[in-house]
Amino acid sequence: MLSAQDLVVSYGKLPVLNGLSVRFDAGGVTALVGPNGCGKSTLLKSILGLMPKSGGSITLDDVPIESIPRRKLASRIAYLPQENHCPDYIVLGELIELAGYARYSLFGGPRAKDRALFRDVLQTVGLADMAHVPVNSLSGGQRQRAWIAMVLAQDADIILMDEPVNHLDMKYQYAVLDLVRTLGRDQGKTVIAVLHDLNLASAFADKVVMVSNGQATFSGPTQEVITPENIRTVFDFEADVFARNGQIVCLPSRGGALQAEAQ
Amino acid sequence: MTRRGSAFLVFVLALTIAFVANLSLGASIIAPNDIRAAFFQFDADNYDHFIVVYQRLPRVLIAVFTGSVMACGGAVLQGLMRNPLASPTLLGVNAGATLFVVGGVIFFGISSASQGLVALIGGAVGFAICLVVARMSGMDGNPKGLSLILSGAVVSMLLIGIANAFLLSSPELRNEFLGWMSGNINHVYFDRLELLWPVGVIGMGVLLVLSRALSLIALGSEKASSAGVNVTLVSRLAVGAVVLSCSAAVAICGPVGFVGLVVPHIVRPLVGANQTAVIPGCILVGATVCLIADMIARMAFAPFVLHTGLMMDMVGGVVFAIIVRRYYLTPGLRRSL
Repeated sequence: MLSAQDLVVSYGKLPVLNGLSVRFDAGGVTALVGPNGCGKSTLLKSILGLMPKSGGSITLDDVPIESIPRRKLASRIAYLPQENHCPDYIVLGELIELAGYARYSLFGGPRAKDRALFRDVLQTVGLADMAHVPVNSLSGGQRQRAWIAMVLAQDADIILMDEPVNHLDMKYQYAVLDLVRTLGRDQGKTVIAVLHDLNLASAFADKVVMVSNGQATFSGPTQEVITPENIRTVFDFEADVFARNGQIVCLPSRGGALQAEAQ
Repeated sequence: MTRRGSAFLVFVLALTIAFVANLSLGASIIAPNDIRAAFFQFDADNYDHFIVVYQRLPRVLIAVFTGSVMACGGAVLQGLMRNPLASPTLLGVNAGATLFVVGGVIFFGISSASQGLVALIGGAVGFAICLVVARMSGMDGNPKGLSLILSGAVVSMLLIGIANAFLLSSPELRNEFLGWMSGNINHVYFDRLELLWPVGVIGMGVLLVLSRALSLIALGSEKASSAGVNVTLVSRLAVGAVVLSCSAAVAICGPVGFVGLVVPHIVRPLVGANQTAVIPGCILVGATVCLIADMIARMAFAPFVLHTGLMMDMVGGVVFAIIVRRYYLTPGLRRSL
């Protein structure tokens, strides 16, 4: 179980997380939603120890995250950053192989067990026959799936994703999030993903955490959290929420649309 | 055989040919059989044997050492800084080492042996000044930015300018150092190689051990850190290894520039960008390029002998312009490193 208690993180003197407390139970997909700059990405980076915190605590199975050695932490938590960069001439197979770094000895490399995992991972993301292809020559959707494959090849039980469907068209957004849902529901991974689109969050997440002003304002099952009242409180925006085929759909209400136009 | 395997086979063959050609070609051409005899049945009265063992072999070994460490250093700095122009020459390492050696000899009369140690300190100081100047510009956070390279170029010019000023004040040392300062691969510096080779070998060994972590850092420090790399420790160890090994090369034969800039751009398209392949590739190709440059420098303008550093500067200047155009000035073709 991963949890943050009274977490305070600042950029210089500007506090971004302001006493945030949240708990992520094992398994399933949790969407982190909230307005721009509310601290969603900062929370993910803090969990990984990439951002120094000035207060509060983050624990993984009741162990403070800062006391877990980096290699051991990498075997428990994998991370997909918002922006990913790959040098030219790196092929997909090499990218996947690098993900196993925490398992390799100083002079060693991947073993048979690792190679079997890499094959499975490429199969899972639908790129099984593309191991020899340079990452930078893949299409946008394939490339995002390649980065997800790298995250999976790390073989961690918790996966943090920062806007995994950014820059993707609708088809690829759904393909990538389908994959994410499979990881959370069928493979037993705990996926925590920052998403901007509430409709995507409601379609693919089991739970939603709404973050605003550096705090987890609302948290719980998707249908209970994505409500017009909560959206008004967190986003300062009027929206209507409908149920359609067992799924929640959010649309700007007439008032909300006019308000956005005026701004 | 894989494409990478074939590339390494070509690298080894090219190095072997360049090695033998450098021993063979020169003012007098020595046949391969005589070269073999010089090693295994050395005859002190045979002038060809003398040339091979006491003149050309030391020169060849200095070229191999210099080319390997400089190319290795360039590959690592380019990956760490995610900047295609990063190299020991353009980040103040060579200039710092040069200034400290010249200053040490002129003001403190340091011995040949001490010059090595002073060069190591100078290389580190040159690189540190470059980082400080880049930070003062306020643009050091931009990994693709030119600020670090521009700072390095400015700092290098400043440090070399000071070294030249020191030499102008000391006419008796001017001639001795004029050649060394333009990168002079010469058998007379072999005693320095005997002293300093372990620094370069250990440095390259450290970089080989760190190569997988360095590949992850090239994907971004957040990505590397989340995959289990201690980014700060690995970066510091790698930079330390590069600075010390390249400074050792400068202490031996002066600053041979641009090998570190050019060679990684030759190697990557052939073996990929994974540092586990790039670093060994650069060791082989860096040595070969330096051997070829030295051979051309010696023979192209015979009876005059050009210094290898000047030869590399002429080639490197053109390559520098090509890289700037490719990575910075052609938005549609802008590649990532």
